[in-house]
Amino acid sequence: MTLDIIIENSPTFILAIPLLFAFLTAVLGWVSEKIGEILFGIGLALTVFFVGVMSFEVLTAESWFYVFGAESPSPENITSFFRITFIADGFAVLATITISITAVAAGIYSYSFMKDESGLNKFYTLFLLTLAGVNGMVLTGDLFNLFVWFEVTSVASCALIAFKNYRGRSVEAALKYMVLSTVGGLVVLFSIGLLYGQHGVLNYALLREGIAGSFTFLDKLALGLLAVVFAMKASSVPMHMWAPDAYGEAPGSVTPFIAVTSLGSLFVLFRLFFGVFSVGLDVAILGSLLIVLGALSMIVGVSMALVQSDLKRLIAYLSVSQVGYMMTAIGVGLATLRSGEGFGDLAMQGGLFHMLNDGVYKALLFLSAVAVIHTTDIRSLNDLGGLAHKMPYTTFFFLFGALSIAGIPPTSGFSSKLLIYKSVYLYSPILAIIALVVSIITFAIVAKAFFNAFLGPDQSLMKRRISKPMLWGMGILTVVLIVFTLFPNVVVAEIVDPAVEGLIGSLEGVLP
Amino acid sequence: MSWDTVFMIMPYLTVVILLSIGLYAVLFKKNLIKIIMGIAIMQNGTNLFLVSLAYRDGYYAPIFTGAESTEMVMPTPHALTLTSIVIGLATTALLLSFTMMIKKHYNSINTEDMRRCKE
Amino acid sequence: MKWEMSRVVRTVTDIMVVPIIVFGIYLVLHGHLTPGGGFQGGAVIASATALLIVAYGSLGKHKKNLSTMEGIGLTAFILIALFGIGYTMFYNYLTGTLGPFGGSLPYYGSNPGYINTGGTVTLMNLMVGIEVSAALSLILWMMSKKSGVISTDEDSEEVED
Repeated sequence: MTLDIIIENSPTFILAIPLLFAFLTAVLGWVSEKIGEILFGIGLALTVFFVGVMSFEVLTAESWFYVFGAESPSPENITSFFRITFIADGFAVLATITISITAVAAGIYSYSFMKDESGLNKFYTLFLLTLAGVNGMVLTGDLFNLFVWFEVTSVASCALIAFKNYRGRSVEAALKYMVLSTVGGLVVLFSIGLLYGQHGVLNYALLREGIAGSFTFLDKLALGLLAVVFAMKASSVPMHMWAPDAYGEAPGSVTPFIAVTSLGSLFVLFRLFFGVFSVGLDVAILGSLLIVLGALSMIVGVSMALVQSDLKRLIAYLSVSQVGYMMTAIGVGLATLRSGEGFGDLAMQGGLFHMLNDGVYKALLFLSAVAVIHTTDIRSLNDLGGLAHKMPYTTFFFLFGALSIAGIPPTSGFSSKLLIYKSVYLYSPILAIIALVVSIITFAIVAKAFFNAFLGPDQSLMKRRISKPMLWGMGILTVVLIVFTLFPNVVVAEIVDPAVEGLIGSLEGVLP
Repeated sequence: MSWDTVFMIMPYLTVVILLSIGLYAVLFKKNLIKIIMGIAIMQNGTNLFLVSLAYRDGYYAPIFTGAESTEMVMPTPHALTLTSIVIGLATTALLLSFTMMIKKHYNSINTEDMRRCKE
Repeated sequence: MKWEMSRVVRTVTDIMVVPIIVFGIYLVLHGHLTPGGGFQGGAVIASATALLIVAYGSLGKHKKNLSTMEGIGLTAFILIALFGIGYTMFYNYLTGTLGPFGGSLPYYGSNPGYINTGGTVTLMNLMVGIEVSAALSLILWMMSKKSGVISTDEDSEEVED
């Protein structure tokens, strides 16, 4: 009985636990910093535990809707239209798993990376708030709730970026991101207003029915505005300018976490397109929108990465181009939705598997790059060299991440990219060629970075050693990547396929 | 054009004007404080939009205490507006404190001086 | 550097602070009945702090207390919501019981506005009121440090309403 209650309520625990521990850290942190540290660890562990519980239930049994404030969380209780719902389906599971893996690695890494900073309790509070915000964004089934979590994520992650506020550049990057996010948030609110004025509902499932009934010009406007904002937060190309600044200047240990918040926005974008708007507008048009943005992101991201010499900015631009892969693949899946073409599902498998992969190897690359910067205090690739002699583990981690992001055969990056190439080729050969060429250039870029930083004669650049928790953080990510590499078929069958099903169908026919 | 139509259009016209002023300030002003003012104006425009959406002619405000009639408007947009005001306060406070830190580090609040990330 | 306004201002402040705070508490406690609630009441209470800061230029040693209040308010808010588990989170488990706020009401229609009818809503309003008054006072205090040097920290989060 208790077990049932815990399982049934696990989506809300994923939100409540980090919020609770964030505020507890803020209160009890005044007593001593050690308590804050311990509370942060417990909060993170419990959150991941409940993600595990929810995933297990969804993947082995069934997905469900969680209605807040009702007598029981089942969807029959959406008695009034403004009850907030959460969707616990395969797609949310994939998203929360991606977020949790990165959060755990970044959290462990932070333990030693941030220990010289002052006011660490605020750091832990902000970290947990960001975690709650991203999880809320991907779990929620309600437009206005989405806006709230969007803003929580923006505020908390901007404060995280500016955490080293004695560095002017950090504050500058945070300010730029914050201006963009705030205006973006207002645009989201405006389009929520448009949709509410049309249909009188905020729930995704109810809105889907409303849009299926009538799809007007104002709905199209709202769709466009929402798409622009979430593509901006996902660092898709025409709006990617904040990403290199924010990723480059954020405190090292949370950089992958900031990157994962933008992945969270991408998850939301896909949820809105598939779940809500695909019943109104022609799916081919919606899909083409994603494909165009995706192809642009791939090309522009990788060509900007070519000219970077700053290690973190280079990886930031590469991550922009990786976002392009996912958008292209999911766009192909959306464009062929309900047309019966077999490769649409394949494309969505590839795209979602790539998101899972990307969350992990991007985090690994960022963390190992930060380890390099932390030990040497040098950011420019031109001045680095010969680090493999002194940092064998970091070298291995960086190499593994680099091979994955370039999609070199044995790695899991290759598995997901192969799915994308195969399916996208059937839709449009040009796209597949673009994807392939971008992949090759990516390989050239990471190979250059690897040779510059790690190979060559030892130059005695090391100023301090990296500590055990940092290695642990990177090690966890590497283990996860190795598992993905060894058993891609299992991962696709067990995690990605339910996610594809959830994305396509979980909002259909929920309501009585 | 009757007065009724004018009163119906007026709030939305104001919304458009407020949003345009705010967007203009955000896009074209170089002073950070002016940009934040632009954002605040946009926030107010959006809030006014939500509140205007909720207006129904002849209906009462949704307060049950001593209510004369139960013909009330749906309170959802008002709840949204309140939440949006709260969030607007948080973001504005954060933006202003960033500006104070920028002033301290760069000794300027002009956006043209904020190019250090790209060097 | 000691900032203090004239005796007139300080006396008026001393007189006005009490009714402002009382009005703030009134708004907080009646949040479930009339327009108002935790955020609005908290903001009114924080305006009393603004008066104090302007008149006396100092909050004394209360900065730490304010931070603690903020955290306690938010923690209690989440905990109250979490106690609803068993039904769902945010379930109003107090309504209809005979507890302090558990009086019963007709579901729909006019009512005379008894204060003890909100269930958990009243408690949550109270917590949000504590949190918002503390957080806004902190923000006001930091921004009004006239030196313009913010060396301690950047902000305080008030993300729940």
